[in-house]
Amino acid sequence: MSINLLYSVKEGFLMLRRARLATTISITIVSMSIILFGVFLILSVNLQRIVQTFKTRMTIEVFMDNSLSQDEISGLERQILETEGVESVEFISQEKAMQRFRKDFGEEMVDILGDHSLPASFLIRLDSPHQNYNQSKQVVQILESHRGVDEVVYHGRLFQFVDRYSRSVIVVDLFILVLVLLTTIVLVSNTIRLTIIAQSRTIQIMKLVGATSGFVRRPYIVQGLLHGGIGGLIATAILWIFLKLIALRLPGLLTVSSVYLLMPLCISLILGFIGSVVGLRRFLRA
Amino acid sequence: MIQMTNVGYRLRGNQILTDIDLRVKAGEFVCVVGPSGAGKSTLLRLVHMQIFPSSGYLVVADYNSRNIRPQEIPFFRRKVGIIFQDFKLLEDRDVYDNVALALWATGIGYKQIKRRILKILAEVGLSHRRYSMITDLSGGEQQRVAIARALANEPFVLLADEPTGNLDAEATHDVMLLLKRINNKGTAVVMATHKEELVKTLSVRVVMIENGRVIS
Repeated sequence: MSINLLYSVKEGFLMLRRARLATTISITIVSMSIILFGVFLILSVNLQRIVQTFKTRMTIEVFMDNSLSQDEISGLERQILETEGVESVEFISQEKAMQRFRKDFGEEMVDILGDHSLPASFLIRLDSPHQNYNQSKQVVQILESHRGVDEVVYHGRLFQFVDRYSRSVIVVDLFILVLVLLTTIVLVSNTIRLTIIAQSRTIQIMKLVGATSGFVRRPYIVQGLLHGGIGGLIATAILWIFLKLIALRLPGLLTVSSVYLLMPLCISLILGFIGSVVGLRRFLRA
Repeated sequence: MIQMTNVGYRLRGNQILTDIDLRVKAGEFVCVVGPSGAGKSTLLRLVHMQIFPSSGYLVVADYNSRNIRPQEIPFFRRKVGIIFQDFKLLEDRDVYDNVALALWATGIGYKQIKRRILKILAEVGLSHRRYSMITDLSGGEQQRVAIARALANEPFVLLADEPTGNLDAEATHDVMLLLKRINNKGTAVVMATHKEELVKTLSVRVVMIENGRVIS
């Protein structure tokens, strides 16, 4: 490590101690901004996950003629599986249908309806490109045309509803996320910029004694990275605790991979760097 | 070494300096004397290349103000030391670190820095105060720290802008003796002051300046 770089790193750390109040305020603002962004990021990721889960859980049920033989049922299953947009087919026998009914509605209803009164069916899941109203409607039309199909039941209106509103919700959510990100960028970079402006006298003196722009710049970049890094770490820790608490109270509601927890930290570091570079620019003009 | 020929400086329509002709030879001690607002500080700032002439010709050592590149200025300033009336020290650091700042900037080794600082602090009589915070020093001591910092890179000229402006009589005397001693060792000194009586005690060349013009 060159002597200049060693000095820069040492100075960057010492600056935290020398300007304790400014450092505390700066790190607090950085943390709060990053927490705000992190919360919105977590909510956005989870909102999209919920919408996606909802779509994947929407199924189409194909009922067939009771008169079909076992071979014909197998043939129909193959035909359905070959239909474009169908990801998986599950055969629900009369017995299995009855078990599901019993589970959903209880033994009393079974007694009323009597045994073997439910038809066999195929439960179909669509692949991702067909998990929307228009595409699923086309799949349903094809399914209806297959010989041996008695009735196709699917929640078309629900598909339509989810299609229409999920897109709006995601657009609004992304808009808010971008807005929060922009606010975070402005807040963090300006806070770090202001801490540098507060040290303009030091920069002026450094220039008077023959310091190059690089020499002046480096400790402040270290300082900016430290403000961003420490602020980001605090924010990440708080977000992690927040997620753990939510998981304890409402398991499975919010799940986020660690990548999304590292993202606010990385953004914080980048903003710390940008803030210090921008803050120094006005002082380093020759 | 310092050559100013017909140098003029305008700022926002005001003529601050007009037709300044000044030559300072190596090892010379020159006092620029004049009332407040005469343009003494502006003259020193021009020599230090913090600002540039609006007209005329200025050469300091081998650096011409017309074609010096921005990236050359830090290297130029290491060869032209400067001190101020308000000392311009970093008050959140000790004496050692203030002097070291000028040396860290050059990228020389840690041991060399330490050796040079100890030598300079001995020269300015502050060895015993090297770990004192700036705020714990008297005005005279602070000015001596500023001088030590200005000398750290062994400049060929030391510019002093009202160096005794904030000092009492005793500290003024000490600082003047120190400047004279530095000059005797071969470093040129250009000092700006409004105190004519101070200059009379020194056997140095005096340049009188008034309303932005050299009058004698």
